[in-house]
Amino acid sequence: MTGKTFFKHILLVGLSIVMGFPFVWMLMGAFKTNYEIWNEPFKLLPNSFDWSVFYETLTQAPFIPYIFNSVYTSLTATILVLINSAMFAYAVTKIKFKGSELLFWIVIGIYMLPVAVTYVPGYIILSRMGLLDSHIGLIISWAASVFGVFYFRQNFIKINDSLIDAARIDGSSEWQVLWKIIFPNTKACFITLGILTFIGNYNSYMWPSLVMKSKEKTLISNGLIQFFFQEGGYGMNWSKVMVGSTLTIMPLVIGFIVLQKWFVTSINDTGVKE
Amino acid sequence: MAESNYKKIGLILVFTLPFLLPLVIFWVIPLFAAGYISLTDWDMIRPDYNRVGFSNYIALFNDVDFYKALWHTIVFSVGVIVPTIILGLGASLLLQKPFRGAAVYKVIIFSPWITPMVAVSIVWSWIFEPDTGFANYLLGFLGHPGLEWLKSSKTALLAVIIVTIWKGIGWTMIFYLGALEKVPDTVYEAANVDGANYLTTLTHITIPLISPTTLFLIVINLINTIQAFDQIKVLTEGGPAGSTRTLLYMYYQKAFENFEVGMASALSMIILLIILVLSLVNNYFSKKWIYY
Repeated sequence: MTGKTFFKHILLVGLSIVMGFPFVWMLMGAFKTNYEIWNEPFKLLPNSFDWSVFYETLTQAPFIPYIFNSVYTSLTATILVLINSAMFAYAVTKIKFKGSELLFWIVIGIYMLPVAVTYVPGYIILSRMGLLDSHIGLIISWAASVFGVFYFRQNFIKINDSLIDAARIDGSSEWQVLWKIIFPNTKACFITLGILTFIGNYNSYMWPSLVMKSKEKTLISNGLIQFFFQEGGYGMNWSKVMVGSTLTIMPLVIGFIVLQKWFVTSINDTGVKE
Repeated sequence: MAESNYKKIGLILVFTLPFLLPLVIFWVIPLFAAGYISLTDWDMIRPDYNRVGFSNYIALFNDVDFYKALWHTIVFSVGVIVPTIILGLGASLLLQKPFRGAAVYKVIIFSPWITPMVAVSIVWSWIFEPDTGFANYLLGFLGHPGLEWLKSSKTALLAVIIVTIWKGIGWTMIFYLGALEKVPDTVYEAANVDGANYLTTLTHITIPLISPTTLFLIVINLINTIQAFDQIKVLTEGGPAGSTRTLLYMYYQKAFENFEVGMASALSMIILLIILVLSLVNNYFSKKWIYY
């Protein structure tokens, strides 16, 4: 190992420690008892790795149902986004009609809109539709992704029209062309957009916390914050709060490990600009 | 012919409406509604309201808290973006050439980005505890007495900035890795032949060549930092003494804590205007800055 590569590894190890430390600290904190935390706050390893604090925390707040609510709403909205973005992008790139380009660029303009602008009116609209405090309401409010349309259009446009025309001559409908020709050729894009959309939904806090009121419908981000503020009331129980944070992150960590290859390689090309 | 025309219109509607309907209901209509509400004194509870013209905007422009929040937003954005860009670029330069173990580093550096801001902010709020937190333990090693972090209006914004940088480095790195991959090897070879050392190559060739990515990252990060909310909610709730209240946090408090919906909507339109201007500036410069 030359001096230069050694130096490179020193820098990378240092950066990795800073980036990874909060996760290690969180996980270790989850296995410590609160007594341990207050007595020896800077000790890295817990006295023992037992699951007692996990059990206690899970009996105190319904984290598993919270996580289920988040996964269910995020996943459903992601599937809707994949389907309707693909259909829209297909219409403006491959069906082509008068004004399709203009329509596309108007839609892209909406990408600049700060989401905060929509909170108050969006809340009122959902309540008029009778869909406040409803998972359906949240899912449909998540169902339009301008980024998704933009991303699919960039990739659909690269697909050769002759392929599509051949399928049309063979009697395929537009719907069949989209799912039998376009989809197999752009699978990687579907996976990338799916991952990004799911993460965005699962991690979002403000909007779901505004529209979801009842406890049994609460999403994990809001459930965790409520637990955090409630535990903070009388001398913070860091141990239990770390269990809550660990549980919240867990579905994403599992997903990250399973789909690792897709995460890093395919997120690269979302940066491709025209 | 007429029949096939109808058929085409029907086809187009079928393919575009599933996207356009939620877009119009949850983005387009709210945009205009927010503009309208910003001209009223509505409080979200009463069914009626008065139209008050631009008085919400005038009140904001005469409000000291508005300028404080604007200033915090600027400090926060610049304080986050500059280190994030530098550290993200640094990490991508270190990881540019493939080597054994590079993937492990990438995964670790990228991992904060995929985790929920709410959960990691809670962990950081523990790290920032003045007496039992790890941050002051480290400062103690360096012979520093330690800071009050989130408990003091002098350091709270700094702490929020640190968390936001930590979360964003990996994402910035990924974009830079993509950009560096596209720089042709021949460029480096030519520089090598000319006898340029690493630093000159970096400052004279690599950085200018990836400047479109830098510009893109600055603008995207600006738009994101202006809209940052979750970490402020968890770490400080805008305090102490309003020292971490940004424009967006002020919007949240006005709309959903004080129910001054008209005023809040006026504020959201100002945020919209700021983002619009930034995007136009981006468009203008990106036309001038493209090197290849």
